[in-house]
Amino acid sequence: MIEKQADVVVIGGGIIGISLAYGLSKQNAKVLLIDKEDPLLTASRGNFGLVWVQSKGEGMPEYVEWCIEAADKWPQFSENLETETGIQLEYAKNGGLEIWLGDEEYNTRVNFIDKMRKQSRSGTYDCEMLKTKELQEMLPEIKLGEEVSGGSFCPHDGYVNPLNLVKAMHKGFKLSGGNYYSGQSVTNIEFLEPGFRIHTENNSYIAEKLVIAGGLVSKKLGKMVDIDVPVGPERGQVLVTERTKKILPFPATRIRQNFDGSFLFGNSNENVGYNIETTSEVMKKIAIRAIRTFPYLKNLQLIRSWSALRVLTPDRNPVYVESKTCPGAFAVTSHSGVSLASVHSSNLGEWIIEGSHQAKFEVFHPRRFDVPKTA
Amino acid sequence: MFRKLHKNSETIEIWFEGSSLDVEEGQTVAAALLSEGYLFFRNSKISGQPRAPYCMMGVCYECMLEIDGQSSQQSCLIPVREGMNIRRQN
Amino acid sequence: MSPLEYDYTIIGAGPAGMAAAITARQHGLRVLILDEQHNAGGQIFRNIEGIEKNLNSEYRKLGDEYKSGWSLVKEFKKCGADYFSERSVWQIDKDLGIHHVSTNSKSFSSSIPSYIKTKNLLIAVGAMERPMPLPGWTLPGVMACTAVDALYKTSGLVPDKDVILAGSGPLLLLIACRLLDAGVHISALLDTNQRFAILKASPFLPQALRSFSYLKKGISMMQKIKNAGIPIYTGIKSIEALGKSKFEKVRFKNGTEFIELSAGMLLLHNGVVPNIQITRQLGCEHRWYELQRYWEPVADDWGNTSLDGVSIAGDCGKISGSSISELTGNLAALDTVYKIGAISKVKRNQFSQPHRKELSYHKAVRPFLDKLFQPGKSWLIPEKKETIVCRCEEVTVNDILQAISMGAQSPDRIKSLVRCGMGPCQARMCGLTVSEILADARNISPEEVGYLKIRSPIKPITLGKLAEID
Repeated sequence: MIEKQADVVVIGGGIIGISLAYGLSKQNAKVLLIDKEDPLLTASRGNFGLVWVQSKGEGMPEYVEWCIEAADKWPQFSENLETETGIQLEYAKNGGLEIWLGDEEYNTRVNFIDKMRKQSRSGTYDCEMLKTKELQEMLPEIKLGEEVSGGSFCPHDGYVNPLNLVKAMHKGFKLSGGNYYSGQSVTNIEFLEPGFRIHTENNSYIAEKLVIAGGLVSKKLGKMVDIDVPVGPERGQVLVTERTKKILPFPATRIRQNFDGSFLFGNSNENVGYNIETTSEVMKKIAIRAIRTFPYLKNLQLIRSWSALRVLTPDRNPVYVESKTCPGAFAVTSHSGVSLASVHSSNLGEWIIEGSHQAKFEVFHPRRFDVPKTA
Repeated sequence: MFRKLHKNSETIEIWFEGSSLDVEEGQTVAAALLSEGYLFFRNSKISGQPRAPYCMMGVCYECMLEIDGQSSQQSCLIPVREGMNIRRQN
Repeated sequence: MSPLEYDYTIIGAGPAGMAAAITARQHGLRVLILDEQHNAGGQIFRNIEGIEKNLNSEYRKLGDEYKSGWSLVKEFKKCGADYFSERSVWQIDKDLGIHHVSTNSKSFSSSIPSYIKTKNLLIAVGAMERPMPLPGWTLPGVMACTAVDALYKTSGLVPDKDVILAGSGPLLLLIACRLLDAGVHISALLDTNQRFAILKASPFLPQALRSFSYLKKGISMMQKIKNAGIPIYTGIKSIEALGKSKFEKVRFKNGTEFIELSAGMLLLHNGVVPNIQITRQLGCEHRWYELQRYWEPVADDWGNTSLDGVSIAGDCGKISGSSISELTGNLAALDTVYKIGAISKVKRNQFSQPHRKELSYHKAVRPFLDKLFQPGKSWLIPEKKETIVCRCEEVTVNDILQAISMGAQSPDRIKSLVRCGMGPCQARMCGLTVSEILADARNISPEEVGYLKIRSPIKPITLGKLAEID
């Protein structure tokens, strides 16, 4: 058994892990990526592919700025990745549309956007409310349902094929000299002061730095290096239709149409523990909402469904943290892995290697969840 | 591609791509079209290659057609009915 | 409105399902049977009612085995079970709620409720063709042998030009004989079985002699094909279907030479495998049957699966043919009748005795047949790497190998990288091949590699119909 050595070991081959590994290897670090490939815990395979700003970060302005920075960087990131690997990402940034049914939803959204604009220090957060008539004008090829009261349009938003994104980054990682080891389950991490030895069932790896990006497993892994990663599962179910002619030019969190013409419908937010079944009740709810939005969709054939577990922190915002007692060990978690891929593969890598941007990421430290001690 | 072993008994009228066809009752849409000499049912959504029914039992999905306005129906499972309007999907 | 509740719901009106329905009804159970086809009979007795009515001349040509289905169907129709034909099951819940939809969205049966509850469930959906991927198999004019058999039975249609048959297995012989009887010109039979397969299978022959009628039938079929003067090529390698926009000719390797033969159609058959789509969606445990290289649901000798209240019967449990299917249908029903309290355990065992006796007679030949027709590796994993494996998404062997080289260790990971199994057929045509390729690359058994995750909808359902479910 040959022990493998690197500058950085990243644990977790999902979108967060591969974004970091890819970015780090492009910054000339020697990187090893180890991955268990657990079928229950692959959030990267069960996501909608949104590159999103519109609804994120209420109450945490720094996160909104981070999302906007990521969205701004995405077009160049996509172009570079496509050129480098030859894999089409099916990325588009034409803005994103959320569609609201009834007056209550509309008004709630008005208040939300107002709040978001107010908390945006740089003033760059841009999202406008559209009444039904204006909304319909943006969608000439598909008629809105009668209950539609309007929409919120955010020019920062876009979408991508998330499976191709992961595939491309894996290829890019390999091309940059990175090594990927799958079927590896971490059993133990030794802090070598400095550096780390990571043990899996049949192998061990030594690195100066360690990044834990194992999704829901990060909690257990974090404990091995004295990091608290407060994540828990939230299930989401998605329906996929047959391919049909392209009529929906903008994505939304509940409905979007892929490059190949198939429609995706979501979403659900369920607290059911570690369960990735699809259920008829939720599928029905999703279908009803989709038809209320666009009645035309009712004759589309559903051909498959999926269900996956989001990796959520208590406030749904990212956690970036370096271990205090085991410096050099980092944990990165976010349920916006796709949206943040452009910055995870650049800025975050710099933080891990050089320690730059540290102040910027302080706000994402998990200490923000600590309950204040009573006097 | 196929021939019938017997004379047409009771026939009904169905429409395929705008053409009227007289076909025997009691057979599936796919069988009726094959017996009328139509082999290409659809084009692959990936390469555009022509495809024809393969399994005739609802497993391969190569026989999918639009029937009476409803897309992607397995024509090897659906019996023909008077006035049925069948189209390829492209 | 509360959904209808049944004591016993059977999915599939083939020999297993029909036998189970009859038995369950004899003991007064409230029974529902759901089937996709227009007529009862499954695949082996396909359209037996229709053919008797419309195609009497052909009906007489079909063998005694087919005709024996006639009395079964008649009895089934009289037994008092509720029977919904042209219904596809698209999801089964953990509490055995069954969601189904009409195969034809514009049919008159749309008033039939689309959700039912049941105390016990029997899955008797039968078998499907083992995928036989080879270069050009997606060309129009290349069809499964059983497809042509189905066309014959449902519509009295036969190929009008000459055909070439390729593959191996008892059904290949049966269908070859049927085509001969119907006057179809078979210009060649390409036998993909290994040379001397019969020697390898001979250890099972003594046992197989117990069900001598099967062997006799097999021998007579082979004789008939020989007597018809059909050129038979044995132990062949690498078949390719060629043609511009439809099948025109086949190219194969016979020994060291390549042979090209033109024909109107190419008919493929490499055995049948259990249709596990529903048992997978439900979450039943499956095991790998190494000899015939397929997955079967784990079940006891009453057909009870790993899930309470769910049993299987017929070819969807293990490939065994129509006689065994009827018998396992009877046994599964008897066990359910006992579980529901209509008969005692003693009575159940008593009633099952004659079925078990007959079962052992029919089963005796199986090990021999399974060994004789063991699928060869080159027919499970195409040698030409440009061969399409997933027909829906046009994913080739190369694509799958590339995904494996990227570190994919599971079929689902391969799927996420190259999209095999994402199309409408939901891996029915490619699932086995994907597992075989991965197992081969990792040098482990397909059992260890596993199968793609199968989810609902088991059959397509429109968004509108989904929005209306109970």
